[in-house]
Amino acid sequence: MAKTLLLELGVMFAAIALGGALARALDQSVIPFYVLAGLAVNPYTLGALGLPSLGDNEVITVAGELGIVFLLFFLGLEFSIDQLLESGDRMVKAGLVDLGINFPIGVGIGLALGWTVLEAVVLGGVVYISSSAVITKSLIDLGWIANAESGPILGTLVFEDLVIAVYLAALAAVLTGGGDLATAATGIAVVAGFLLALVALVAFGEALFEWYLGVRSDEQFVLRTVAVTVLIAGGALAVGASEAVAAFFVGMGFSSTRHVERIEERLIPLRDVFAAVFFFWIGLTTDPRAVVGVVGVLAVAVVLTTPTKFVSGYLGGRLYDLDTRRSVRVGCGLVTRGEFSLIIAALVASQSGSPVLSETIPAFAVGYVLVMSVLGTTLMAAADTVEAGLRTTARTLTGGDRP
Amino acid sequence: MTVYEADLPGVGKKFEVELDDERRLVIVIHNTGRRELFVRADPDADAEKLFEVSDRLARQVGTILEGAYFQPIRTETIDTVLSDDTLIEWARVQPESSLVGGTLAETRLRQELGVSVIAVQRGEETITNPGPETRIEPDDTLVVLGSQTACRRLDDLAAGGTDDESGA
Repeated sequence: MAKTLLLELGVMFAAIALGGALARALDQSVIPFYVLAGLAVNPYTLGALGLPSLGDNEVITVAGELGIVFLLFFLGLEFSIDQLLESGDRMVKAGLVDLGINFPIGVGIGLALGWTVLEAVVLGGVVYISSSAVITKSLIDLGWIANAESGPILGTLVFEDLVIAVYLAALAAVLTGGGDLATAATGIAVVAGFLLALVALVAFGEALFEWYLGVRSDEQFVLRTVAVTVLIAGGALAVGASEAVAAFFVGMGFSSTRHVERIEERLIPLRDVFAAVFFFWIGLTTDPRAVVGVVGVLAVAVVLTTPTKFVSGYLGGRLYDLDTRRSVRVGCGLVTRGEFSLIIAALVASQSGSPVLSETIPAFAVGYVLVMSVLGTTLMAAADTVEAGLRTTARTLTGGDRP
Repeated sequence: MTVYEADLPGVGKKFEVELDDERRLVIVIHNTGRRELFVRADPDADAEKLFEVSDRLARQVGTILEGAYFQPIRTETIDTVLSDDTLIEWARVQPESSLVGGTLAETRLRQELGVSVIAVQRGEETITNPGPETRIEPDDTLVVLGSQTACRRLDDLAAGGTDDESGA
């Protein structure tokens, strides 16, 4: 038994590595390819062809959960309210424009489909949040990191990260509230109590964290960090709170210590491995037919939310006093959606909610991330062509010279 | 020369160094330690990537640029500025210096001048963290930490002059 399980994990990592190699060869971001790797080997795809396939098993599920935990832990670690306050109101303005345009469009699509408010709000979250991981990597690959457009792009991503942390915490609390009233109230009280204790720990525990992580051995350092993160995330899940939110708080607690750089240096490989498994697991548990089933919604969402992100990004660039060319780049740069859309989908899928929450939205999120990450990365690489195209179009339409 | 510094959330830090009226050198330091160097031909141009180096190599190149290995222009001192008024400086002890023959404790450098000797380079050997009993020999290079004034006074002493302020 154990032998075959190990073999299954080997197949999993081989599929992930192949997906990554393919992404590199095609000059695309890796996240959609990890998802595709999972889709390719799952029982609905490979299995349907009568070939041996890889099923979802507990080890892969737990490894995927660790992926969420580490992704959110790092989000907390790099998260800084000080930075938000320091960078002045430009970042907040650009962030609010982004939120004000992109979140309502998702909610609107949901409501237009006749979904409940909760379902529509979940869709709003999925289409709102850009992918920090993919976009940051593209910024570095394209060399934009050294240009002025990196300011509004990274600023907006930071603002989004703040919003999504609050959003995930609220969503997790609302989802736990399902069932009868008394159970819901107790559930929420336990979750709230747990999170409050965690917030208090983050707020007052700096000296404690400092002491806890102040160990010379790298091995002990990594183990201690992993131990506290996974223990608290697991504890949160056990009491019915969100492991993702708990991991975020742990990261935030550590962000005030002197050990941030050491954590980044030592634990990024661990995060990368488990995050890759998380994306793979998303693909593994997705029936491609379900994605095909939501293709209509998907088409509408892609057609509507690509321009909205572009426009909000463009306006964000303008708020940073950038010229047209660079503002177009900001617009193209923020189109990519990725890890957080999938995390929201995984969160609602794990709760036994309505069929829309447990089936439609997860399938939608997979398709959406696949399309938007490839589209976004391609748009970024072609930003200057996009700008030239917009200029020509604007000139033809108005006779003026402004897009 | 102006150096502009900006945070790159999730990535690291960016420094822009004015080279002349138009051009700027852009240095991106990643949280991972990797350094990327770009040059921007004019304020509106896209930054053009020159090269990237690892953390380790960047430190080595930095030391070379700083002149710690080789000084092309003869200056009286080699120094590294830690803050506005604190330097790490290298001072060669000339044979005629009054410091020769004394131990670190006897020369009372810390008490009298306010400089801490953090290493002594003697030929091929480097004595790191020297103790109070370490004896100063001719042609030693003292690596000291202290304020600008203190370092300058030590320089005079090491060169064989007298310290006019304390009379040592």
